[in-house]
Amino acid sequence: MSDVDVDVAVSRSHRHTARWAAISLGVVLLLFIAVLATRKSAADKQAESPLLGKQAPSLTGTALDGSQVSLSSMHGKWVVVNFMASWCVPCQEEHPELVKFTQRHQGAGDAGVLGVIFDDTEPNVRHFFDREGGSWPVVSDPGGHTALDFGVRGPPESFLIDPNGFVVWKAIGQVNADGLEKLLSEGKARGG
Amino acid sequence: MSAALGTAGVWLGLLGAAIGVATLGLGLHRRDPKLLEAGRKYAWVIVAGAVLGVIAMESALLRHDFSLRYVAENGSRQTPLLFTITGMWSALEGSILLWALVLSGYLAVMVRHFRKRASDPLVGWATLTVFVVAGFFFALMAGPANPFRVIHGAIPTNGPGPNPLLQNHPLVAFHPPMLYLGYVGFTIPFAFAVAALVTGRLGEGWLVETRRWTLFAWGFLTIGIVLGAWWSYEVLGWGGYWAWDPVENASFIPWLVATAYLHSVMVQERRGMLRIWNLSLLLATFSLTILGTFLTRSGVLESVHSFTESPIGPWILTFFGLVVVTSVGLIAWRGDRLRSPGSIDSPVSREGAFLANNLLFAAFCFVVLLGTVFPLLAEALNGDRLSVGGPYFNRMTTPIVLALLFLMAVAPVLPWRKASEEVLRRRLFWPAAAATLVVVLCVATGLRGLAPLAVFWLGTFAAGSAVRQLALSARRQGWRGLVGRANGGMIVHIGVVIIAVAFAASHAYGHSREFRLSPGQSARLSGHTVTYLGSNTVKSSNKTSVEARVRVDGGKIYAPAVHQFPFATQAIGSPSVKSGLHDDVYLTLAAAPEQAGGSAVIGVIVQPLIMWLWIGGAVIALGTVLAAWPGRRRRPTAPVSAPVEVESTGPPPEPVGVIS
Repeated sequence: MSDVDVDVAVSRSHRHTARWAAISLGVVLLLFIAVLATRKSAADKQAESPLLGKQAPSLTGTALDGSQVSLSSMHGKWVVVNFMASWCVPCQEEHPELVKFTQRHQGAGDAGVLGVIFDDTEPNVRHFFDREGGSWPVVSDPGGHTALDFGVRGPPESFLIDPNGFVVWKAIGQVNADGLEKLLSEGKARGG
Repeated sequence: MSAALGTAGVWLGLLGAAIGVATLGLGLHRRDPKLLEAGRKYAWVIVAGAVLGVIAMESALLRHDFSLRYVAENGSRQTPLLFTITGMWSALEGSILLWALVLSGYLAVMVRHFRKRASDPLVGWATLTVFVVAGFFFALMAGPANPFRVIHGAIPTNGPGPNPLLQNHPLVAFHPPMLYLGYVGFTIPFAFAVAALVTGRLGEGWLVETRRWTLFAWGFLTIGIVLGAWWSYEVLGWGGYWAWDPVENASFIPWLVATAYLHSVMVQERRGMLRIWNLSLLLATFSLTILGTFLTRSGVLESVHSFTESPIGPWILTFFGLVVVTSVGLIAWRGDRLRSPGSIDSPVSREGAFLANNLLFAAFCFVVLLGTVFPLLAEALNGDRLSVGGPYFNRMTTPIVLALLFLMAVAPVLPWRKASEEVLRRRLFWPAAAATLVVVLCVATGLRGLAPLAVFWLGTFAAGSAVRQLALSARRQGWRGLVGRANGGMIVHIGVVIIAVAFAASHAYGHSREFRLSPGQSARLSGHTVTYLGSNTVKSSNKTSVEARVRVDGGKIYAPAVHQFPFATQAIGSPSVKSGLHDDVYLTLAAAPEQAGGSAVIGVIVQPLIMWLWIGGAVIALGTVLAAWPGRRRRPTAPVSAPVEVESTGPPPEPVGVIS
């Protein structure tokens, strides 16, 4: 029996049911795909931390050279608080970017980086800085209390603190120097 | 070295797929059997590429070659051998490599199986479809999810090792490969569905083949899901085994659709009906595996399983879009030609029950899918961020499961076409009587609760019906009565009933408490006595653990522990379980003693029938093997009953030969 016979056997009103059902389903699915395509990733949403727009949690500690460092003593400057570990590959990859960023602002003194050790030992990190460069203060965080205050889940995570000590931005994963510059100029334009 | 070898493998696979697609495409266009014959050989190039990639990755992991970024992030010198090997699927890029390996394995079997029909355009289109899918996964590895990226700059001397949860239990070696064998296996039926639609050859011949492949994939997926539940129970320490987590749902949704297909395909074989529906189910099963992959790998949903941030989301979504457009377009193009001439005579018939079964599975699938993506939809519509949890899924799925259990009892005894009340009464009497007896006994022993008792009644009813079928069949044919699709299917039903009963019982009658105990102190919960004996600290190469010693019921000593892995902030608990056929005593170390000899907090969870979940899984696996066992099966081209052209209420017509 040929398909034509089958077609004839089928009553006219039902002829294109499958086609229309398929097309309507297709439209619904494409809308669904559009919704999915416009979603931000859960990790980015996480980056919308409850700290945003709030005063940064206090952050003090002993730097690798033994001096006492605190976030509040850096008021008046933009500060990138960077949680890092020497074993973390993305941290190793973002390190040269942070070096570049600090070098650009060395003259003006308007911005700097404050590192916080996350799940790593001081000797390891000291060795890492000796090897990779970078002259910003890095404090250890025994017990992980600072990481807990900032809601850090894993390195690297960075927070941009404005000159008044407010958290304006959070990044999960690597940052780069140009991205930081852009955020900085946006922040300054808003009168930060 | 590893990087070069692995990259070579990835590109070999990608090129093999691309050239294979081009050759087959040209061959199909020109109707040239020589080109079709040549095109299929590229399957072996793809296999070689995948094997090369896996060898490169495993050797890099085993040699601790930290110049590979993947190894630096997921390997360490302290990790035990087993977890170094399983490290290949402990993170995103490696898991795509495993996917490519499994897919190329299926491709090899498929190409070999159909080698004599290689010049058939239908086989050509199917092979081409699998080549496209394989090409996509190799392209992912060549682009955004490259497992063989090297580290620029100083090479680390050690890495953090796999995620602590993935180096805590040997099931990690089995659960993902099994799951992938299932998940990826649906590519083959999908390819045949596409090929049948493209060629317009909608006869029944391809169908039996496809059913077999689907059954294989379905069996592995079932085992994978059950092993995942087991792993979660043994490792995560919350005493549960199923949490409706997006990743669990991502594997469960295609399972539901494939289950629907395995049932409704029988209606097509016997009555020639539901053709569009069956094709749609195959297309949907594969599409849903890709959607599930997107949901779990792109990071749009938060999940305990979600992989680290990666840029592969848009790639997978685009591929999903392509699959959807192809599927929907093919159905729209060919669908109306597929329309079957027959219709269902009576709702109280085997085919009526299969239809109801399919509607229920479709509803089940919709409920789970909606719950999984609802947070995304809600956010898109009004910006709310919310999460959908266990209560939604449990409340929505319970009635569906109950209805499915009821069908499971009734459907196997229903004849095709039309059933009389008399037949039903006779065939269902003993199963119903047994079910009632079981529930009366349960109530007499003090069990209460509507939902669990309903599950017990319906479960026994369904199991009784299945046992009746098996007994009849075994009486007629001896041991052969247990083999074959219908009989294997009945064994699968028994396995499903076992799981449903165990699920209901463990949810309804579990007890859990935490006790602060000093060494020597005991506590009682649900008839079990636990005695805390003390704790000690154990150091091993990859972790430091505090182990409590807890004696259960005056017998064996169990050791729930807390592990600290060097590069992880959080400590990982590791439960210890006394398993029994009647119930499980699940122990966790909720708080280790502050100082030596101090008191510890021991979490105790007693849940009945947990072991039956795993036994049920094994029974399903056994039933699947028996169902797939090659027996005296009909030749696919010679169906016993042809589609019915005119409506009639008489007995099914005799074989009339091959249908077009």
